[in-house]
Amino acid sequence: MELFIQVVVSGLLLGGVYALLSVGLTLIFGVVRIINFAHGELMMMAMYLTYWLFHVHHIDPYLSILIVAPALFLVGMGVQRFIIQPIFDSSALMKIFVTVGLFIALQNLALMLFKADFRTIQTSYSMATLDVAAISISVPRLVAFGFALGLLSGLYLLLKLTLVGKAMRAVAENRVVAQLMGIRVQRLYLITFGMGSALTGIAGALLLPFTYVFPTVGGIYTLLAFVVVVLGGLGNMAGAFLGGLFIGLVESFSGFYVSPALKEAVYFVIFILILLVRPQGLFGVGKGTEEVGLK
Amino acid sequence: MMKRCSVLGMIIGLLLISGFVEMALSQPVRIGALYPVSGSLALLGDESWRGAEIARVMKNQKGGVAGKQVEFVKVDIPDVSAAKSEAERLINREGLKLLTGTYSSSLCLAASEVAARAGIIYFEQGGIADQITARGYKTLLRSCPKAQYFSRSQIQFARDFVAPKIGKKPNEIRVALVHEDSAYGSSISKNVEAEAKTGGVQLVSVIPYNKDAVDLSSVILKLKNDKPDVVIGVSYANDAILLGRQAKELRLDIKAFIGTGGGHSLTSFQQALGTAAEGVLNVDFTQFEVNTKFTPGLKEFVEMYRKMFNEPPRSGHSLANFSGTNILFDLLEKTGGNMEAGKFRQTAAAVEQKSGSTASGWGVKFDDSGQNIFADTFIMQWRGGKLVTVYPEGPAVMTPLLEAPFSK
Repeated sequence: MELFIQVVVSGLLLGGVYALLSVGLTLIFGVVRIINFAHGELMMMAMYLTYWLFHVHHIDPYLSILIVAPALFLVGMGVQRFIIQPIFDSSALMKIFVTVGLFIALQNLALMLFKADFRTIQTSYSMATLDVAAISISVPRLVAFGFALGLLSGLYLLLKLTLVGKAMRAVAENRVVAQLMGIRVQRLYLITFGMGSALTGIAGALLLPFTYVFPTVGGIYTLLAFVVVVLGGLGNMAGAFLGGLFIGLVESFSGFYVSPALKEAVYFVIFILILLVRPQGLFGVGKGTEEVGLK
Repeated sequence: MMKRCSVLGMIIGLLLISGFVEMALSQPVRIGALYPVSGSLALLGDESWRGAEIARVMKNQKGGVAGKQVEFVKVDIPDVSAAKSEAERLINREGLKLLTGTYSSSLCLAASEVAARAGIIYFEQGGIADQITARGYKTLLRSCPKAQYFSRSQIQFARDFVAPKIGKKPNEIRVALVHEDSAYGSSISKNVEAEAKTGGVQLVSVIPYNKDAVDLSSVILKLKNDKPDVVIGVSYANDAILLGRQAKELRLDIKAFIGTGGGHSLTSFQQALGTAAEGVLNVDFTQFEVNTKFTPGLKEFVEMYRKMFNEPPRSGHSLANFSGTNILFDLLEKTGGNMEAGKFRQTAAAVEQKSGSTASGWGVKFDDSGQNIFADTFIMQWRGGKLVTVYPEGPAVMTPLLEAPFSK
């Protein structure tokens, strides 16, 4: 019984991590529908930045969010302005190729700069746990869980309550009409991409205390984030959170009861099955949201 | 006129002959040395090469092999196709009669196949894949331990050291295996299963996992469920760290954890885990924290290494190749410099030197497959931030400490 509860707790904590790493993608891909295959590479950049800030300047990873998030905001705006904007009117496929190209370029740049070494940092709380009866809860993972919940709620409120949020939703719904209504679409895309990247940066900084970074780490995160966002339903913040938790739990249970080597296979099979039945994702709002690509 | 010509011819002839004699006398023993010194295998490939080079320099200082100086024709083999083509070039163009190397098993498999086809001796010093000596080549010799020996040491340690310490009979001790599921981990897992069977210990669980996994908590929880006394791990760098961290977080309660080279031997593992790495065991090639009485020549090797490369050795790979190259030179001495494959293998088969007779603590005895069956692997333990040899007694500098790993 104890072990069962531990499996559930570990799954939920892992789900929190997955939700966290897909927050940025939820905004960029889920809301504004820019397919960004370089998502994981932005995360990798954030993790390296956090690593060097800790290693050279001894800045705590949690504190370094104050530097990493603005830095990634600028990077994100740069990517949008100089890479995506120039090909904005070409097909969605073209944009996929461009971000895939960016992903390969960033990965190889990192390989050249940092070599293929795995880098970890050791903070006082890296392996800290909260113990409730016989159940142990990893502190940095709990923090990640909390941030995932907080950031997604914040994003939800932003989209629902603010003018910028409303504009974002309008652009997602129909770019041309939004422009006709006086929304400065280009600028909005800049802000959105910047914000999404900053959120990804925060995730990177929060993940580093208990994981590691290496130049090709991004691919793993990109795949996970896409699965979480699509499963949860595009543009649905609660969906992204629950989607993350769902995959975390599936992974934890299949790892424990089936085999750790098969857990990825198990959640991908479930992922495919769910999309067959509900193409709009578990919590998708309905028709039309399953469509991928720019309008 | 005629006379003058013939005198001149005679002088020229004499000069030529004396030149040939001179050349024949001082002709060095030429050996092809194939190592990856660029590309992804470069670091440890180069480290391996350094060990061989030190052995050569030291040998030449003492007068060389069979009265001749030894020369390496060094080639870089960053990948399998280079290994093939360079081995061909060394044999066909350079006319070499003996090749050595290679650090990486896959490179060795490719290069030694070329040598086998040409009927030339290939002397492997670093590749550990069991397959290398399982192909039945009569031209192959391997000085270093093969993969199977790593698993054998781990099972022996669990049965002969851990079991009595915790008051269990050898057949009562519970061993679990956790391995990453690429070719590296999967091949070792087969060996562990086989060795557990022959060693008569219970293997209570075999848990494969993906080395790129973001989370390994389910591996640890499975272990908690199966309650092993000893866990054998096969990991790369990052997954070894993740596994260690989550073992600590989830309070895995075991008596001993034994890694299999790989991630558990790296300083990055110790740095990332800090005190939690304390007590983790690892089986590997001989390292430098070892009883020097059991490793004659180790001190001289380390001194020479510092002198030649201005830094301490970067890993045990140099030592393995230093020992291997010395074994090779001893064999050449015995054949009088003759490199003909049949004669060389025959000479090698007759040699028997006990464990503890080389700088790496290995003995020398080649079996029919060409494997040095006295190439032992030792168990090391992280103690005070250092990987120290603890088992068996001969090379050990400390006694193994059985305290729960990943607990501090």
